[in-house]
Amino acid sequence: MKRFLLKSLSLIFLVNLLACPAPVKQDPYTLNYHIGAEPDTLNRLTSTDAYSSTINSYIFDSLLERDNKTLDWIPKLAHSWEISEDKLQYTFWLREDVYWHDGKKFTADDVIYTFEKIQDPKVNTPHTRVYYQDVDRVEKIDDFTVRFTYKKPYFKALGILAGIPIVPKHIFETDQDFNNHTAGRKPIGNGPYRFVEWKTGKHIVLVRNEDYWDTDHLPEIKKIVFKIIADDTLALKKLKKGELDYAGLTPIAWEKQTNSEKFNRDFVKHKYYSMVYRYIGWNLRKPFFSDKRVRQALTHLTNRQGILEKLEFGLGKITTGPLWPLGDFYNHQLKPREFNIKKAIELLEEAGWVDSNGNGIRDKDGVEFEFTFLIPSGRDFYEKLATILKKDLEKAGISMKIENMEWSIFVQKLHTREFDAVSLAWSGGGFDEDPYQIWHSSQAESGSNFIGFKNPEADYLLEVARTTFNKEERVGLYRLFHEIIYEEQPYTFLYTGMSLVARHRRFHNVHVYKGGLDIREWTLEE
Amino acid sequence: MGTYILKRLMIFPVTLFGITLITFFVMKLAPGNPVATKMQAAQGLQSEALSGEVYEQTLKLYGLKVDLPKSYENFIAWSTKIIHGRDSKESPPFTRKALYEIGQATFQYITWLKGLAQLNFGSSLKDFRPVWDKIKEALPITLILNLISLFIVYFVSIPMGAYSALKRGGLWDQTTMILMFFLYSLPSFWIATLLLVYFAEGDFLGWFPLGGLTSDGAEVLPWFQQLGDFLWHLVLPVIAMVYGSFAFLSRFSRSVVLESLHEDFVRTARAKGLNKSAALWKHAFRHSLIPLITIMGTLLPALLGGSVIIEQIFNIPGMGRLAFESVLARDYPTIMAIATLSAFLTLVSLLLSDLSYAWVDPRVKLEQKSL
Amino acid sequence: MKLSFRNILKSLWQRKLPRLSLILLGLLGLMAINASWLASSTPLYAVYQDKTYFPILREIWPLNHLDLYPELQSIEWNNLDKKSLILPLIPYSPDDYDLDAILEAPSLKHPLGTDDQGRDLLSRIIHGSKISLSVGFIAVGIYVSIGLLLGALAGYFGGKTDFLLSRLIEIVICFPTFFLILTLVGVLERSLFYIMLAIGLTGWTGIARLVRGEFLKLKNQDFMTAARTLGLSDTRLIFYHLLPNSLAPVLVSATFGMASAILIESSLSFLGFGVPPPTPSWGQLLSSARGFMDMAWWLALFPGLAIFLSITTLNLLGEGLRDVLDPKLKRV
Repeated sequence: MKRFLLKSLSLIFLVNLLACPAPVKQDPYTLNYHIGAEPDTLNRLTSTDAYSSTINSYIFDSLLERDNKTLDWIPKLAHSWEISEDKLQYTFWLREDVYWHDGKKFTADDVIYTFEKIQDPKVNTPHTRVYYQDVDRVEKIDDFTVRFTYKKPYFKALGILAGIPIVPKHIFETDQDFNNHTAGRKPIGNGPYRFVEWKTGKHIVLVRNEDYWDTDHLPEIKKIVFKIIADDTLALKKLKKGELDYAGLTPIAWEKQTNSEKFNRDFVKHKYYSMVYRYIGWNLRKPFFSDKRVRQALTHLTNRQGILEKLEFGLGKITTGPLWPLGDFYNHQLKPREFNIKKAIELLEEAGWVDSNGNGIRDKDGVEFEFTFLIPSGRDFYEKLATILKKDLEKAGISMKIENMEWSIFVQKLHTREFDAVSLAWSGGGFDEDPYQIWHSSQAESGSNFIGFKNPEADYLLEVARTTFNKEERVGLYRLFHEIIYEEQPYTFLYTGMSLVARHRRFHNVHVYKGGLDIREWTLEE
Repeated sequence: MGTYILKRLMIFPVTLFGITLITFFVMKLAPGNPVATKMQAAQGLQSEALSGEVYEQTLKLYGLKVDLPKSYENFIAWSTKIIHGRDSKESPPFTRKALYEIGQATFQYITWLKGLAQLNFGSSLKDFRPVWDKIKEALPITLILNLISLFIVYFVSIPMGAYSALKRGGLWDQTTMILMFFLYSLPSFWIATLLLVYFAEGDFLGWFPLGGLTSDGAEVLPWFQQLGDFLWHLVLPVIAMVYGSFAFLSRFSRSVVLESLHEDFVRTARAKGLNKSAALWKHAFRHSLIPLITIMGTLLPALLGGSVIIEQIFNIPGMGRLAFESVLARDYPTIMAIATLSAFLTLVSLLLSDLSYAWVDPRVKLEQKSL
Repeated sequence: MKLSFRNILKSLWQRKLPRLSLILLGLLGLMAINASWLASSTPLYAVYQDKTYFPILREIWPLNHLDLYPELQSIEWNNLDKKSLILPLIPYSPDDYDLDAILEAPSLKHPLGTDDQGRDLLSRIIHGSKISLSVGFIAVGIYVSIGLLLGALAGYFGGKTDFLLSRLIEIVICFPTFFLILTLVGVLERSLFYIMLAIGLTGWTGIARLVRGEFLKLKNQDFMTAARTLGLSDTRLIFYHLLPNSLAPVLVSATFGMASAILIESSLSFLGFGVPPPTPSWGQLLSSARGFMDMAWWLALFPGLAIFLSITTLNLLGEGLRDVLDPKLKRV
């Protein structure tokens, strides 16, 4: 018995010895790309996570695309387009030389089918449906021409229609249920890469589409392997070990953990401003936060400079409003309120919050200034922010309790408006910003305006801006809107962070644009 | 014996039913639901609101809102009237709300049971794949990992414990005991991380792979190299899983062997002149195998559950991670399937361990051991 | 030997390892109880505006509910003259952040270094002991009480009661523990108490089975028959005769249970379901150290040692108890 076990053990070791020194050769034309979570599905309509849309953006092309440099719309699947005088009709002429990866021709039918599916209540795509609610109808003019008609004019309409997530009609139009259609696990697209393989918990592999219609833009990278690694610490280790070619970095990794000579010999780091801004939202329905002076005081009590400089290593920009500080609409005249406890105390006393019963906590009309700060759990940044804020509020006689909630409960609490104050991030609306959904009073009951901000002037500006197609005019409107927000401080805006990435040195022609990096243009030679 | 088994078998489905019922209701009680969670995907809420109507539609689509039978609706109306009086139409009173929710949960549970009767676990609310497919992917991974671990734990602990018993109080006994307890006291996520840092990262010793189960491109290698590659990936996770378990089993086997060393027949054997270790191997050890085997039964369910923490740290897509992610995403069908499977397995192993106990040791009275 | 607390303690004290672990456990306990004045930025003694204060009293439980010296509420002690103050041994509170002292290695100023918000690690570990030890004691306290009661009922009455309770135990065993804990922590509030409750509500089956078994064994022994013929009531029989006699294995199992409760808490923290910040628990300290393994070894080492030490101590104590209490092994 013993001998047998010994034998089998030594066999195992032998096998190992045989196996280990067989390194699998790295192909320079393969890009190993880190993604932080497994996508639910690659069905373009039903997927909701950021990673699936990243992956799908290589498999599928859209009608139009933004030029990386000028940010203007340029033709892609549609070679030209036209907007009617009244800004209600949008006509797209499609290319006639585009094929799906299975060889079938791409036509107007696919666009029409996609739109029908978006409107179909049986299709699990509520997040897309809200975008297209204002589209009245879509018509097929001929096999390669489609016309969308809007119910009312909206300046973002072109961008929304250009980005319609087109799915192949001939694949989905089968007996199978749309939501769990097998094509969600092996998508058929029309873009520069075709889908090869998806191994749960490991990777998703794409290879270059050799029959890609846009021969001028045929990418040089032949294979992209999206490696699924949920744990950031592990991903950083894998990057350092050379198992990844492209990965996002955390601020601390950027600043402290990627400075070795070896790392910089193999990798280049890039940073650019993300379109995400972090904030603390004050529930205006609560007695503490109904007075704007209190909200201003709270902003003065938030050590934004310290947090950004020391915890995020200055990788970001303090913001004063909901618009993108690098975009055109941001009002740079407004200076961030500084961290100033004295000033905050003055404002609080002005608003009537004084410690009348001598227990060390301010009160007003018998209400103690004690509130709960809701943050999503498991996210380092918010926990740090909360502990620092708690300490500083204490100094001003405000007692704050931290409540960190698992994501699904957190979302539900926002949905039912059961919170005092909350911290989170919004990802902005891209280059055509429209803060309507977050700030208009009509969204206060069930929409994204969960703090209940209601301001008739702001409402007016937002409504007018929606139908203003002239960008300069919109800039004026949004800057006024920004001023209102600045004065009212319904949020304490924290900062717009930076996207930090590292990529392997063997790639060239890498440019950092306002919208990020474009892997499709990377080359291997200089 | 026969009647006992029959009795146990008859209770079996009832207990299983109880477990699924409780799981289902506790699950429904947990705040959050997959629609809201999905809608406002993880990395910061999307700027577009989700309108109430779309939300309702989606709830229905997910089967999280069913049409209650007319009779039940009437029952709600009737009880509300009884409790709150006639004019309670305006804001829905508590009773109505509570009864409505209970009704929803009950009818959804019935739907689920109907599916189960056809061995259909439904499809995941997270990615709409059949739950069974997801389990089929994750289960073998966890099973292999755990079987290897279990084998190593047994292989190491039992001889060690037996030897300790034999040399009770000696240097070996003392040192192994302390060592085992030291190991047991180290939090596994700490050790797992340290293992990765020191033996996989490459700054110190880069012997082992950084998580995962196979190397890239390993598919093209010959089978023995593939196997080797796979085993190579398992080394660190297996170490992280087993080191803490030696303590329990070696202490257990030590005490079992100690006990049997004092059984009369072993004493007799020794009195007849057999030396201590012969007595141990020939008699005591065989005798003490019984409890060691039965305890394996209780370890069985853990095989299926997997270890969330180890799987998380080593990036292994096993059952533990599947369960954890399903709980986070409120993926009800997947949670129910895993809960049912693990409950089923636990019940089976409890039953088996009782039966085997009785079978190897006829002195055990089954009625007393009915647990 | 009569099984009394004193006797047990005495025989534990006579053995080397159990004695050591008793001492260590005592020290840990003392640290936890006295944490609020061992590590705090509030002075023990201060002269402020010509009056003498003991500001630390504001922090010590249960005095902290009394609102002593309200005039001291928003004083920044750092700004006062150091000569008029006597500061605690570790002059940092666990959540005193210092953005200029981020990730500092151990030094005289911060004996165990600082974390990524510049908080003193030693202070956090000392205060963390409160959390970790109370999770150990209270969670186990909860499940021992449930287990004793239900196990006793099942074992004593047998028959239908036993049958039903056994099914209940079976159901709880089969119920995915982790999910139950997550749900409980989710439905209720994320707080220390509910974490303890959750561990307590899922952990009692072992004790219940143990007690039930002991009861079944003891029930038919001579002294019980004698007691029954004397006409003693069920309550009296259970609580005065059977329970004390079956406590020995429960005690052993509870000691081990404490160790594992501390481990469960730290695992929950690792997965992001521990006590909410800024309250430090050892598990939470350890899990937040994961991202800095290569640059701040102290963050992972010291909390790890703290967990390790307390768990080893408890386990060794449990082992010692087993030796003391298990009469079968004494024959050797």
